[in-house]
Amino acid sequence: MSAAAVGLIGLAILLVLLIIRIPVAIAMFVVGWCGIAALNGIKAANGLLASETFTLASSGELVVVPLFILMGNVASVTGMSRRLYDAAYAIIGSIRGGLASATVVGCGGFAALSGSSVASALTMGKVALAEMNRFKYDDRLSTGVVAAGGTLGILIPPSTGFVIYAILTEQSIGRLFLAGVVPGLLLLGCFVLTVTLICFIRPAFGPTGPRTSMSEKARALVGAGPIVGVIVLTIGGIYGGLFSPTEAAAVGAGLVILIGFVSRTLSLRDLWVASRQSVVTTATVMLILIAAHMINPFLALSHIPSAVGEFLISLNLPVVGTLMIILAVYLVLGCFLEGFAMLVLTLPIFFPIITQLGIDPIWFGVLVVLTLEMGLISPPVGINVFIVKSVASDVPLSRIFVGVLPFWCAMLVTLAILVAFPQITLFLPSTMIQ
Amino acid sequence: MEALRKIADGLIGLSAAIGSLGLLVVVGVILVDVIGRAFGSPLFGSQDMVTMGMVIIVFGGMALCDRTGGHVAVDVFENHFPRGFNRAVDVIAALLGAIIFFGIAWTIWESSQISRMLNLSTNLLRLPKAWFQWALMGFAIVTALGMLLRAAELAFRGRDIRGESHSGEEPL
Amino acid sequence: KELKYASFTPPQHTVTAAVIDKMNDELSGATGGELTVRGYFGGELGAGPAEQYVRVLQGVADLSWGLPGYTSSQFPKTMIVEMPGAVPEGKTGYDLIWDNIDALKEEFPGTIPVALWTSEPNAFIMKDVAVHSPEDIAGLKIRVAGSTAAEVAAALGATPVQMPMTEVYNALQTGLIDGVISGVSTLSDFKLEEVATHITTGAPLGRLTFFTVLNQSTYDGLSDDEKAAMDAVIGRDLSKSAEDAWNATADEALSSAVDSGSVELIELSDDEAKAFADLVEPVSMSYAESIGGGDLLKSMMGE
Ligand code: NA
Ligand code: NA
Repeated sequence: MSAAAVGLIGLAILLVLLIIRIPVAIAMFVVGWCGIAALNGIKAANGLLASETFTLASSGELVVVPLFILMGNVASVTGMSRRLYDAAYAIIGSIRGGLASATVVGCGGFAALSGSSVASALTMGKVALAEMNRFKYDDRLSTGVVAAGGTLGILIPPSTGFVIYAILTEQSIGRLFLAGVVPGLLLLGCFVLTVTLICFIRPAFGPTGPRTSMSEKARALVGAGPIVGVIVLTIGGIYGGLFSPTEAAAVGAGLVILIGFVSRTLSLRDLWVASRQSVVTTATVMLILIAAHMINPFLALSHIPSAVGEFLISLNLPVVGTLMIILAVYLVLGCFLEGFAMLVLTLPIFFPIITQLGIDPIWFGVLVVLTLEMGLISPPVGINVFIVKSVASDVPLSRIFVGVLPFWCAMLVTLAILVAFPQITLFLPSTMIQ
Repeated sequence: MEALRKIADGLIGLSAAIGSLGLLVVVGVILVDVIGRAFGSPLFGSQDMVTMGMVIIVFGGMALCDRTGGHVAVDVFENHFPRGFNRAVDVIAALLGAIIFFGIAWTIWESSQISRMLNLSTNLLRLPKAWFQWALMGFAIVTALGMLLRAAELAFRGRDIRGESHSGEEPL
Repeated sequence: KELKYASFTPPQHTVTAAVIDKMNDELSGATGGELTVRGYFGGELGAGPAEQYVRVLQGVADLSWGLPGYTSSQFPKTMIVEMPGAVPEGKTGYDLIWDNIDALKEEFPGTIPVALWTSEPNAFIMKDVAVHSPEDIAGLKIRVAGSTAAEVAAALGATPVQMPMTEVYNALQTGLIDGVISGVSTLSDFKLEEVATHITTGAPLGRLTFFTVLNQSTYDGLSDDEKAAMDAVIGRDLSKSAEDAWNATADEALSSAVDSGSVELIELSDDEAKAFADLVEPVSMSYAESIGGGDLLKSMMGE
């Protein structure tokens, strides 16, 4: 049997295991280990199991995961999230789906702070889900908004996705960051539009609140002061060069804990319970990430990506056709692979084809990162959907997948717009000197 | 089996407590480093402490995560399957999970032997890598044993422990 | 037989042509295509440089490359080569290593070191700071990779900061760090040319060492002809190929950064360099003595 056949069979088995409800991480471990053992021997499979597990569990970059979860947990136990959403409700609650739109904007803001979609979805999930629930928002809308909005983290700079793309393809990080700004805002706008549209068709999804007077608005805003202060200090600290985005997670957590103690809304026991809950959520998220990294070497050994690349060259299609097929391949692979693993696996094969055809590499980078975002919420392996599930354990996964569907469509529309009008992506980086 | 459950819940709670402590320590380490650096004296070896602390955080909560049903599964088709089938899948999933965590423990043990042979340690503080691999191994074994017990309870008693709260657990 | 070479860098990286392709060409040429080498890039077989040695040992890959500096506790003696002043003027790094291979070999258990080489010398890569003398970097925050580089930075009066290489671009941009001590190839490899403004070369700041290792049992499993072909490829010659390519990449990175006008190059005179040497060379000797390698360092420095 050819290596590619083993790879396809492995993916089929993964699909079956997921459908019969084997936990996602367990299913990926089983398929990854068996696939590597079949293609490269049991010794290699065991070696990778140990080294991927320890490397990810001791990753200095992923430490943002438990830190942001802790920050979100403390913000919710001290009532800071509640007051933030009270303020949002007082200001835009009278608009249909106003809180969901505000959450999308919040995701965009958080994206500008952290380079990671995982961190964005986790933190916003911790802060926003219970609050939207409190105002009787439909859980499909609230979870869908957070899962989709969280993906903005890798389109709006700074972005780990662009850094990895730049290093793999020798492109300018600065240009990619600039190129991501307008498409990121465009996507954010499309998300808000989607929320509004949903709430016009189904008003019960995002019920409107009462109109409030100016003084009520002001009072609510003052109540949200502490958490707004934390956010401003954290973002300011990053751009002011006081700490890195990773360290900002710890600074944010430290600040909410401090405010909680000072305002006597947080007891030592509360902190201990919040910390305990944080390690449990961390375990869920990290086990999925570790397991996803077992699938990556398996697919590399199966040589499926290079087979697709060779096939693509043999087709000899015109430029637009090739680009369409490559993006389609990314959409399909995104169903199974974790985003960054996918970049590593595919760019060495597709990027030379792209440059040969004269396609702008910065433009292509933005398109790829957008398809990567779509993969984060597409079934069956939608990392961001799983993350939202890990903070909203009482909402069935099926409802979350239904909830993200309109946003996935909004992303497809955005992708089409960006493909049709390259200037949207390219005019900002073209202003950069060099 | 009741006695076993008590012991298991004790171990699971202990391992989560170690993880929680690790998380608070890591927050403190980063804060001291950031503040110190602003005044020209960062905490020596802070990155070593953070990355190795991360191992404790990630795997400390693993057993409690499984105990409380925290591992995400695709439940889209759950209602289309017969009850007996779903029960069987739950047992199989718990057993597969136990095999994987025993596998992680075993392979990490083997690589800890390599770490000792190669004298691997963190770059600044020289914390031996094997210590943290052993910690990870311990947490993985607790998780695997917890999964085995859960599978046994499910198969022989029809009891799904994930629906019952953990003795040391308080609602937030 | 196809040997798997795991590389944690993308395929266009210097190591591909200089080591992986060279091994593949020469091995398949000598064995009539029986023995080949296939590269797995960008960490497909496992990410990052730190675990590469272990992956070869465990048979995940047959061959891989890495930096002793990421796991310096495994390579105390090899690390001496990285120290400021260890490689004397007019001598190449790989010659120095292979002249002393008997003392270093024990640090590579379970594998065969098929190539060992060094990078271009370290330089100061700075944002908004022109470094001419040690006073210029006193009190500044400098990103360093390992423990010895941290001591070098501290000896110069700078504040050493540890962070992953992928965060350096942002950190330089926001001013979280003032500069980096590393080879100039990072200007292109990690795009630092976009954010750095000043580069100072000529100070003795040490350099990096690299290894490519082959799994011992993979080698033992080769036929006699294949072993002969392998023996002919590996060693000083392959190391020279790597080191020459590294230097060429570094020269290109530096000249393209300087030509673009975005960075200013400061080449220290011998007198200026000596001010740095006086401060950092004690670090080299005290490190070597701390691991019982004082004589090794002296013989390397030609004393
Ligand atoms: Na971002
Ligand atoms: Na997906």
